[in-house]
Amino acid sequence: MPERDRDQSVEQLLRRVMSDDITPLEEACVDGETIAAWSEGSLRAAEASAVERHVAGCSRCRALMASFVRTTPPQPVAESLWRRWHLAWAVPLATAATAAAIWVILPDTGTAPLTNAEPIGTIARDERALTSPPPPAAQSSPVAAAPSESAAAIQSQQRAKVAESSSNELRQRADTSGNRSLADQVQAPAIARSPAEASPAAPAPPEASFALPAPAAAGAAAERAEADTKKEVATNSAPAPLAAARQAFAPIQIVAPGGTTRWRIVSGQRVERSTNAGADWTLVNVASTGALTAAAAPSATVCWIVGAGGAVYVTTDGARFTRVPFQEIVNLTSVSATDGITATVTSVDGRSWRTTDQGKTWLGVN
Amino acid sequence: MSSWRPSESAVTHLYQQSRADRWSVPVAVFVAALERSARKACATPPEPRELERVLRSLHLEDLALACACASGHEGAWEHFVREHRPVLYRAADAIDPTGGARELADSLYGELFGVVERNGERRSLFEYFHGRSSLSTWLRAVLAQRHVDRVRSTRRLEPLPDEERTPPARSQEPAQSRIAAYIRLMRRVVTAAVARLPAKDRLRLGYYYAEELTLAQIGRALGEHEATVSRNLAKARREIRADVEGQLREQEHMTPGQIDECFEAVVADVGSLDVSDLLGTASDPPDSGNSPGARRKDSQDKRSKERPEGASA
Repeated sequence: MPERDRDQSVEQLLRRVMSDDITPLEEACVDGETIAAWSEGSLRAAEASAVERHVAGCSRCRALMASFVRTTPPQPVAESLWRRWHLAWAVPLATAATAAAIWVILPDTGTAPLTNAEPIGTIARDERALTSPPPPAAQSSPVAAAPSESAAAIQSQQRAKVAESSSNELRQRADTSGNRSLADQVQAPAIARSPAEASPAAPAPPEASFALPAPAAAGAAAERAEADTKKEVATNSAPAPLAAARQAFAPIQIVAPGGTTRWRIVSGQRVERSTNAGADWTLVNVASTGALTAAAAPSATVCWIVGAGGAVYVTTDGARFTRVPFQEIVNLTSVSATDGITATVTSVDGRSWRTTDQGKTWLGVN
Repeated sequence: MSSWRPSESAVTHLYQQSRADRWSVPVAVFVAALERSARKACATPPEPRELERVLRSLHLEDLALACACASGHEGAWEHFVREHRPVLYRAADAIDPTGGARELADSLYGELFGVVERNGERRSLFEYFHGRSSLSTWLRAVLAQRHVDRVRSTRRLEPLPDEERTPPARSQEPAQSRIAAYIRLMRRVVTAAVARLPAKDRLRLGYYYAEELTLAQIGRALGEHEATVSRNLAKARREIRADVEGQLREQEHMTPGQIDECFEAVVADVGSLDVSDLLGTASDPPDSGNSPGARRKDSQDKRSKERPEGASA
């Protein structure tokens, strides 16, 4: 019998023998916490080899490890958690960034329909970007489409995110009273001006990164990255100057289609409206008791706002908000809306509800 | 004085390092969590210096966040949701691209938020996080654990082929029963050869042949480069083959011709068995005409390693 056939036999036998269900009776199975610690190499040598021995001899624990490995993003293990986390985001974000970058350089005629379409699609797209495993192929096409813009965009995004995380932390550190501390709410202008100097703890991004080609595109992309991360509904502003790169650190801002009407939530409490593309802001009264977390503006006069404790508000004239009845006392974290009566809200624990009659009835989406 | 409880000065430092103050975690709660972590990490109470080393190596910020979330701190919970829900959902999609694991992720979410026990106290899954890994790694591992346990519990409900097996058919052709005997023998000797390998080699083989992970995935699991995984797999296969040939020669006293026949029997047979594995049912082997026969053969095959009888029969 030829040698190769013997090897083939061994392989075929291994396929069956290794799949035999085996459970060592004398040993307790490994729990998720230990698997996690083992995978990060933080077990002591003796414990690690005991786990290895058990997993090698127990079908259940080996399957557990296999499932776990499938969830591991394909990044070098040596990197710190923060870096890894950001890199894992980079690919889906890069796609969004390039979309933004391309959009920015389009002639004016092209922008209007895009802007109108935004509020409806935003949440869905955000969800996809957040949840899908980063497709390796996705990177190549945007890069090919707009090499310089997207490269700059990706870079500035990553930097923006690193800086953002640390400024978040700064803000959270300041937030000792135990109040809600949403990233975008507490906003010191100093942080917005320069992430590097405002947050010394951050791996300070060199300012030069913002001076790369197509700064406007990079700025818009950074803004988009921020919006994606926060899962907030935010339409992109008109082509922005270099300063827009720092707008990633502005309060939650919602741009209504058309770009001139904008809403923002300041400190999670105050709602303001601008009718001149963000130049002047006027306070709008929302009789809210808890924190407000997200908003959606499907048209210049309609805006939905959600917040803690099942709070949902809507305005259809751009001036007066009314409380929309909602059945559950649960913290809401995002909202998308198509008009003044149709909206979908998502709670902190991932459930979604949709109304098509301005909150008279809500139906669970998932 | 060995103990799992850190000294006061150590606590002050660890508390500061964990930045538990941003979630206003009470020091007593944090100390209790540290103690739980220490008990998990050390089987016996360690020396104070060792204890401090262990505690310092923990993911303290994540531990503080878990403490805060377990006690229902709203800001902490929001922070957790923002940072970790995407991780959890992405992991669920990686485990089951059809979305089946999403529901597990959601129920995990509920458990993290806290289940109200009979005495009215809220128990959160966070209490089982000990900071020995990062929070996101832990979440992924717990999700994988839930997934595997669910898969295995549903599989247990389905009848196993072994349970419906009938006594070995006596009516089989002599040639075919000899092939079946060879296959039984081969499975037995391969199992024995695998058992003699070091744990890491067995793990690598299991990941590759049973779990069907890619070389890159196995590399991630074992901290090896893809090429190393491939090389080590080939080496293990060579060792197994040499071991098998040795067993057939020396323990079974087979002639080179008989050994050849053993290997050939596997090649001739395995095609059908592989298909049956894939479909989860027994299918017809090419040389037998009926399905029950194939099933019997398969179950005999499965049990062959428990039987002392050899192939020289």
